[in-house]
Formats: sequence, structure tokens, C-alpha cells
Amino acid sequence: MNSADFRIGVAPFANAPDIALKVIAGQFVGAFHIAADILSPMENPGYAFDSRRGQYNAALILKELETVRGTPRFADYEKVIAVLDVDLFVPIFSYVLGEARLGGTFALVSLYRLENDLQRAAKIALHEYGHLCNLAHCPDGSCLMHFSKGIAELDGLPLDYCRYCSLALQKECSCKRSSREVAPVPLRS
Amino acid sequence: MEKADVMIVDDEMIVRESLYHWFKKAGHYVETAASGVEALEKLDARSFDILFVDMKMPGMDGIEALKRIRETYPDTAVVIITAYGSIDSAVEAMKCGASDYLMKPFKPEQVSIVMEKVMYQKQLVCECSYLKGRIEKTTRFDNIIGESAPMLEVYRMIADVAESGASVLILGETGTGKELVAKAIHAKSPRNRLPFIAINCGALPDALLESELFGYRKGAFTGAVHPQKGYLEVVSGGTLFLDEIGEISSKMQVDLLRVLEDKKITPLGDRRPVDVDFRLIAATRRDLGAAVKDGRFREDFYYRINVITILIPPLRKRKEDIELLVRHFIEKYSHETNKKVNGVSRSALKHLESHNWPGNVRELENAVERAVVLARSLTLTADDFAFLVPNPAVSPKTRSLKEMESDYIEQILIECDWNVTKAAEILNINRVTLHRMINRYNLRQPSRS
Repeated sequence: MNSADFRIGVAPFANAPDIALKVIAGQFVGAFHIAADILSPMENPGYAFDSRRGQYNAALILKELETVRGTPRFADYEKVIAVLDVDLFVPIFSYVLGEARLGGTFALVSLYRLENDLQRAAKIALHEYGHLCNLAHCPDGSCLMHFSKGIAELDGLPLDYCRYCSLALQKECSCKRSSREVAPVPLRS
Repeated sequence: MEKADVMIVDDEMIVRESLYHWFKKAGHYVETAASGVEALEKLDARSFDILFVDMKMPGMDGIEALKRIRETYPDTAVVIITAYGSIDSAVEAMKCGASDYLMKPFKPEQVSIVMEKVMYQKQLVCECSYLKGRIEKTTRFDNIIGESAPMLEVYRMIADVAESGASVLILGETGTGKELVAKAIHAKSPRNRLPFIAINCGALPDALLESELFGYRKGAFTGAVHPQKGYLEVVSGGTLFLDEIGEISSKMQVDLLRVLEDKKITPLGDRRPVDVDFRLIAATRRDLGAAVKDGRFREDFYYRINVITILIPPLRKRKEDIELLVRHFIEKYSHETNKKVNGVSRSALKHLESHNWPGNVRELENAVERAVVLARSLTLTADDFAFLVPNPAVSPKTRSLKEMESDYIEQILIECDWNVTKAAEILNINRVTLHRMINRYNLRQPSRS
């Protein structure tokens, strides 16, 4: 993949609803001018199911996805947002709404606890995308990269990054974007 | 939230990994350790703000690790991670000094809340420690003014003796600040949160001093209608400062010697001894050594109170401190009296330095207070201290023509409120010449702020 091909893949697992995928992809394209494709669904990650907890281990799913990173399915995508409608956890935490490693390729978004609110799904996707681009949690309480303590706080966050996180995102991605896609991430005034 | 240095201590790699990534995403510096021993090794190498320690680990368990960390690294906060439902172990962890605990599995927001709470506690401890330092600094030497070599030696002695519980004898002429030195020793000592009681032995008749020090029971003597505790009991772990110790009677010397030996007193009219605990600091302006030789002071009591001696130099032997002291007193009294005085002329300082100061710093303070109260200009001049009677014992310092010229020009400038044109007219020289002389003698107009 060369620098002109910066794209994001939105990859559903099994029963993730199309509308959620379209909203997430649309957010990247519409608000941030980043090309995003919806990929064909992947099988339910049964290998990550913890029968004792009745939840899926997000760490295991990410690990598995990293092993298929170079395959033709994902080769065209710099970052991939995987969307599930199952409940996720990482060991020691009782649940997570999304999961990503700093600077990683894959992020997970769980729709399970979002009560069909698609704006919440878009916020989590963009928040995890920020982590994939090496952004840590932001101290600004009105930035999407701020850590929200539960759904109520998530609802209070705007669907937007603060000025500093926007700049950091631009810096992180600028070397990989094509010139026609370089339209900067809009800065909040 | 402030970024912190975090260590995760857990024998399960998957737990370490999960928390590691979570804290990294929160922007913290993170390290992990697979055991309590590894955690202690890492703590040896660098400091951490907060450790998340699993309760159940092979070898050294969480509680043992917690105890060791609290013992060696008291500034490091420890949060214990326990299994769900193990309330007892959580309680035990808190008793052993854990800052908080988390029961696994926990919600991500719980970690965030615990982090915020612990970091806030650490911040408070830091602020508290800083403020304590400020208070100690303020009470330690700030009330004693002086940068001369003899005073630096006094400061060094105060610092050296403060930590010990040994009796201290402070020697110095009247007005040199013996009580300030005693207070500084107390403030710097481990007894600083306990009372400091000062008694001027020379001001009290023997019988009154006895009842003040030892206390009395009801009916011990005519007029003792209520029992009263003596200062030796009231001081209760603190410091007792006996000024003018050279003035007490032989009987009182014997009584105090017994108290110092036995650490017990028997109040007047009572038969039961009472345990007492205090540090004695005594002071005198007399030559106690000579008094011992003459038989006017008990030798055994002298050696008991004279474990450590601090000699405060008289002001005439540290004249380089006079300017500092004068400026300090000007600030103090201009503030107290609401007078706009903010400086002192060089001629005034020279006049003050030529004085012998038999009353030492106290006399200087009184002189500055009087000068400030009566001052008519922003700067104190030699005329403001004209009331000081020259000491015939000290020959006036020979002054050069240049010094006299400099003083005179400064005097005229002050009188003209630093109006150079007016001053030049009085001096009968032109303004350019006056400016040149001001620069030559490095004369500066005092600030009006």
C-alpha cells in the first residue's frame, strides 16, 4: 500500500447491523474526509467467547485480527474498525464499549450496551480510531478523546475532537494521506 | 487528570497486559511486574506514583508487598486488587495502608475514579508537606536577622542541637535575642508541636517562681483556693525556656537539679510525685563560670544545664548585620505605624554603625521605631538618629573627604526629594556636575513603592 491509499475499513462481525456500519463509515467520510469502505461480514468470533462470563474477550479478538492483517481482505486499509453486536470485556474489566491499542491497526466497537443509539456507536468508533492514531485520553472534557465514565458521560461528549487532538491526528495521518485526500480534519473553533 | 507513573503488579500476564494498555491509553507512564519482588526491584530503580497490586500472587502476596512498599517507599500509593467478594482481604489491605482497593472484574470507569482519588490525595500530601516546610522555614530563622559569620555559626548550632533532647545554655548580652534562639531550637526540634513556655526567672521572687514552676494543690498556702499545675507539668513534652537562670536562688537550683535528674516533681502541698517530660533551654547574660568559681552558682546545676552552649554575639561584633536589621525594622514599623518610610541613607547607616549598641538588637529596634515614627521624609537620615548618644568608648571613625562629600550630597538630595535642579542650586554646582557626582558615588533614589 502506498501513501496515496489511506483508507479505513469498517468490518462487521456476523450480525452487526448495516445501519451502524453506514453511520460509522459516513462519519469518517463526511466529517473528516477520510475514505472509508464497509467490508463484508466476518464470522462470529466464537474463539473469544468466555462461557463463564457470557462475554467476548476483546483482547483475544484483537490478537486474532492482527494475525490476518496482511491478508488481501485488509491489505488496502491503514486502519480497520471492527463492529460487533456482542458484549465485550478485557480481562479484569467487567466490560468495554470499545477496544484498541495505541498505534494499532484494528479497533473494536461493541454495540451491545449502546441501546441502538447510533451516535454513540460513531463516538466510540472515532474515539478508538484516535487511539489507533496514537492519541491518549484527552483532559479536555469536551473532546471526543476524553475518557467517559459510562454512557451518560459519553452522551455528553461532542462528536468531535478538540483542537489539539485534531492537530495530533492530522500530524499522525498527514504522511500517509494522498494529496487529494489531504483535506484537513476540520478544527473546532 | 494529572499524568502519573503507574506500575501494575500481577502474576497473570493477561491482566498486566489489559491494565498496561488501558493506562497507556490514559496517557500515563506504565511499567509492569510479575511479582512483589520484581516490583520492589523496579521501585529501587525509579519512583512511581501509584502501584496496582494483585492480592493473590505466588511467593510474596499482595499484603506482604504492600507492607514492604509502605515501609520503604511511603510516598508511593498502593491500590490492592482483590477477588470479587473478598471483603475481608480488602479491609485488611486498607488497614495495612492501601490507598484504595478494586474488586475484579471492575468497570473501566472505576479505575479512573480510583486514580483520580489517589492522585488527589497525593497532591494534598505534597501541598501539606510544602506548607509545613514553609512554616518551619518561617519560624526557624526568619525572626533572627543576620548574615554575618558569627550569626551563621549560631544558625548552624541551632540546627545541630535542635534534634537532640540535650539541655542548652544560651549566653548573650541583654537584647541579643536569646529567646528567639530558644524558640528557633524548639521549632526545629521533634517537640515543635508541643508547648514552648518561657519564664523570666529574674522577674519573679523565689516563692512565686517555685509555685509557678511546680504548681500547688488546694490549701497548700494561704490564698491557694484552687489547685494549679506548674509550668513543669503544663509544658508536657514541650520546651521550657528559663531566661536569666543566673538569677535563681541556691534552693531553686537544687530543686530544678532534682527535677532534671528524676523527671518528677512534687507540687506544693502534695506528696505524690508527678512525672514530667520537657526539654530545658536556659539563658543568661551573666558569666556563670565565674559565678561558679565565686560560689554564687552551684557547680552541679551549672554542668547539668550547660550540656550545649550557644553564644550569641553582641551587635557591636557583627556590625555588618546592622544594615539588614535596620531595613527589616523599617519595614516592620513603617507597616505598623502606617508611615511612608522606605529606606535609610548611607550617612545614617554610618552613624548607626559607629554606635556601640550596649542594648544590642533590642536597642537598635527601638531606635529605628522611634526614627520611623518621627521621620519627615521617605528615607531615614543621620538626623533622624541624632538622639543616639555617641559612645565615648568608641572613637569616631576617621572619614575621608570623599565620604563626607558623598554623604553631604545625598543629604541635600533627600532634603530636595531628589529634585536634581533644586539640589544643584543649593550645592551651587550645575546639574551636569551633580549627575556626574551622583553616578560617581553610586547614589540611588529610594523606591517610592
